[in-house]
Amino acid sequence: MLEQLLIFTRGGLILWTCKELGNALRGSPIDTLIRSCLLEERSGAASYNYDAPGASYTLKWTFHNELSLVFVAVYQRILHLLYVDDLLSMIKQEFSAIYDPKRTSYDDFDDIFQQLKKEAEARAEEMKKSKQLGKPVNNNLGRKQGQVQNGSVDGGSKKKSGGESGNDGGDGDKSRGRPLENGNLRNNHVGKGEVPAMVNANGKENGASKTGAFDVNKLQKLRSKAAKKTETVVNKVPKGEPNKKITKKNRVWDDSPKESKLDFTDPVSENGEQNISVVAADEGESMMDKEEIISSDSESEEEETGKDSNVDSKKKGWFSSMFQSIAGKANLQKSDLEPALKALKDGLMTKNVAEEIAEKLCESVAASLEGKRLASFTRISSTVQAAMEEALVRILTPRRSIDILRDVHAAKEQGKPYVVVFVGVNGVGKSTNLAKVAYWLLQHNVNVMMAACDTFRSGAVEQLRTHARRLQIPIFEKGYEKDPAIVAKEAIQEASRNGSDVVLVDTAGRMQDNEPLMRALSKLIYVNSPDLVLFVGEALVGNDAVDQLSKFNQKLGDLSPSPDPRLIDGILLTKFDTIDDKVGAALSMVYISGAPVMFVGCGQSYTDLKKLNVKSIVKTLLK
Amino acid sequence: MDKEKIGELKIQLQQLLNEAQEFVQRIPPLQLYAAIGVVVFTIFLLLVIRLFKRRSANTILLTGLSGSGKTVLFYQLRDGSFHQGTVTSMEPNEGTFILNSETSKKGKINPVHIVDVPGHSRLRPKLDEFLSQAAGIVFVVDAVEFLPNVRAASEYLYDILTKASVVKKKIPLLLLCNKVDKVTAHTKDFIRRQLEKEIDKLRASRTALSSADVTNEYTLGLPGEAFVFSQCHNKVTVAEASGLTSDISQLEQFIREYVKA
Repeated sequence: MLEQLLIFTRGGLILWTCKELGNALRGSPIDTLIRSCLLEERSGAASYNYDAPGASYTLKWTFHNELSLVFVAVYQRILHLLYVDDLLSMIKQEFSAIYDPKRTSYDDFDDIFQQLKKEAEARAEEMKKSKQLGKPVNNNLGRKQGQVQNGSVDGGSKKKSGGESGNDGGDGDKSRGRPLENGNLRNNHVGKGEVPAMVNANGKENGASKTGAFDVNKLQKLRSKAAKKTETVVNKVPKGEPNKKITKKNRVWDDSPKESKLDFTDPVSENGEQNISVVAADEGESMMDKEEIISSDSESEEEETGKDSNVDSKKKGWFSSMFQSIAGKANLQKSDLEPALKALKDGLMTKNVAEEIAEKLCESVAASLEGKRLASFTRISSTVQAAMEEALVRILTPRRSIDILRDVHAAKEQGKPYVVVFVGVNGVGKSTNLAKVAYWLLQHNVNVMMAACDTFRSGAVEQLRTHARRLQIPIFEKGYEKDPAIVAKEAIQEASRNGSDVVLVDTAGRMQDNEPLMRALSKLIYVNSPDLVLFVGEALVGNDAVDQLSKFNQKLGDLSPSPDPRLIDGILLTKFDTIDDKVGAALSMVYISGAPVMFVGCGQSYTDLKKLNVKSIVKTLLK
Repeated sequence: MDKEKIGELKIQLQQLLNEAQEFVQRIPPLQLYAAIGVVVFTIFLLLVIRLFKRRSANTILLTGLSGSGKTVLFYQLRDGSFHQGTVTSMEPNEGTFILNSETSKKGKINPVHIVDVPGHSRLRPKLDEFLSQAAGIVFVVDAVEFLPNVRAASEYLYDILTKASVVKKKIPLLLLCNKVDKVTAHTKDFIRRQLEKEIDKLRASRTALSSADVTNEYTLGLPGEAFVFSQCHNKVTVAEASGLTSDISQLEQFIREYVKA
């Protein structure tokens, strides 16, 4: 039974709701749908899950792009209603017939709606009966598909994704596992450990077994759980090894001098330091404070490259598209949009955007353009390009304020230090960029303190110590082999004692699949509740960015003992100077996590820290 | 064959030209110059009028955070009721109409062009598209849920007040405290003072780093003094309204002040 069915304009006015289904919806599912799904360019997903205290709903929607209308159906998640998609498309057709921009009340639609609902329910009953006969056949099909998937994809976590997706009447696998929302809404914790790293093949293959054959998926779930268990056992063994290595005694080959003399850092640098520190402080303004001049002649560039690509394709295609553009085609169908979207998707992928993200983006843009009337004298490709550009700007615009200085001042007023934790995989540049952020904060008269919680990698503490000496800021360290959570806690206490405004916590790099290390990280975050969890990712990463970020977020959510886990709040994009114009990693990371890019590291000296320039990135991506 | 035809056409053209020349020469020169002068003058007038028209804007912008009640106010102004409710806007609502309360008045009334810009942070860039035509800005604030959102509201307001077009054209701003029909709503003076305090703090901490690429082109207020709205170059006034109960008289007053009836 449907809970509610709404029709509203894109501008926000509700045109019609079903008065019979008078149940008031708990929470505000529609607003959340708009904010977390439709405005996040995930409108290509099949459905959206919403959890509020006391109710859990699934929402499905469809657009009428020509009239700028949105049709949303809400129903309880435990019910697998099969007729909703059907009903929505029928309602769309009927309503567009009677829609008039001046009218604001459509009471006569009630009867039509009742009729359509009965029809749709009847049709669904029929389909269900026929499906029951075809179910065993479907089962085998589904299982085979799952096996093929499992074989070709490595990693137990990917197996799980095969099981979890395609559940429950086509729930948007794209929208699952997105545990970062405004406020306390937990939208996707239907079951634990859902992996949102969706390969598109998943959705398509399991689409056949979408409606009803969920026991196949259950089988896969069980299988993947078994696989997961063996994985964790395997993971525990290698963790033991590094510990062993550190405690191993150094081998003495002959009567050579003792190890103590191997540490040459302290005495030499003592004298050289003062000079170095003075020089360091004067490296000039951090690039964070410099304005970037955006050239505004992008429009002509895009037009011309568009024309070139058109000419390259068949001559016939060019002629017909020119004719269409002058005539103004009736309505855009998906088949018309496909070639333009495919070209755009390939273009994005050559700019190093992860494949899944490009796919999802194109689907979302297609959903927002389908059925729209082409204005005369516009090509399909330019309409698609404009829509894509708008979507990209929307994604890259931060959802919340990224003014760190303001947050620092707010924390200062409350008398607490502002704690920033840098997390990420190995070798992305956490320690280097930590020093850059410290330099920038120093330039704005903020007292910074570093906390060396990377107690694993040899040289990590010394590295931070060197930076601290150059910048002349205090550093809190406890050497190696200590529990990072405890070190961080003590560092924060020390900061409040000596009056530091900001504590920058450096952690060891860790792979997103490494369960014990991720557990340790979530413990660190849980124990210290930092103000900002900054994920450091390098711009050179390709498809792995999706995996890294989603797994980090998921593990932080799952392994945290608190009911309201802290997730990644911001992204620091590093090694930006190495990528020329292949800037797609920024887009992938922002799309998959929803966190804004707060800093961009573009070099290895202290001043090489910038903020993200949305317009120039979008321009580069679409060139 | 073709060459002959072309030759004939040429001869015909030449004949026409000769006839035209003779005709022109027959007209007394004074009339000729007068005619040309009139034509040039008319063209000049048209251009000047077009320029003037572009300068006078008649658009009022409704902005504010998401959930402050802009769409409800828009429909109240247009139709006198908000129909069946609203959801978060994904696109701006635009309309040129006579205010609903004035439909009963007689005589010709100048319609107002009102734009309701979505308040969601991802849709902020849309505001810039309309700022160039704005004659007045209404910044809607939720008086009930004010304190949890005070930082976001003040940042948005700060961004608007420091935009080049707003400062240069001195676009007047109305700070509208909405939802005052609720018991727990704050007073407009409280809201004004809180916003002034927050903007003061923002002045101190804002450097060139603001949201992704929106830059603060001007600074607000006088250095060394606490910020008050009267220090702004453009006029900032405060008023109250309630969208749900159609209590929008102060808003309509503001609109009619800047878009003459």
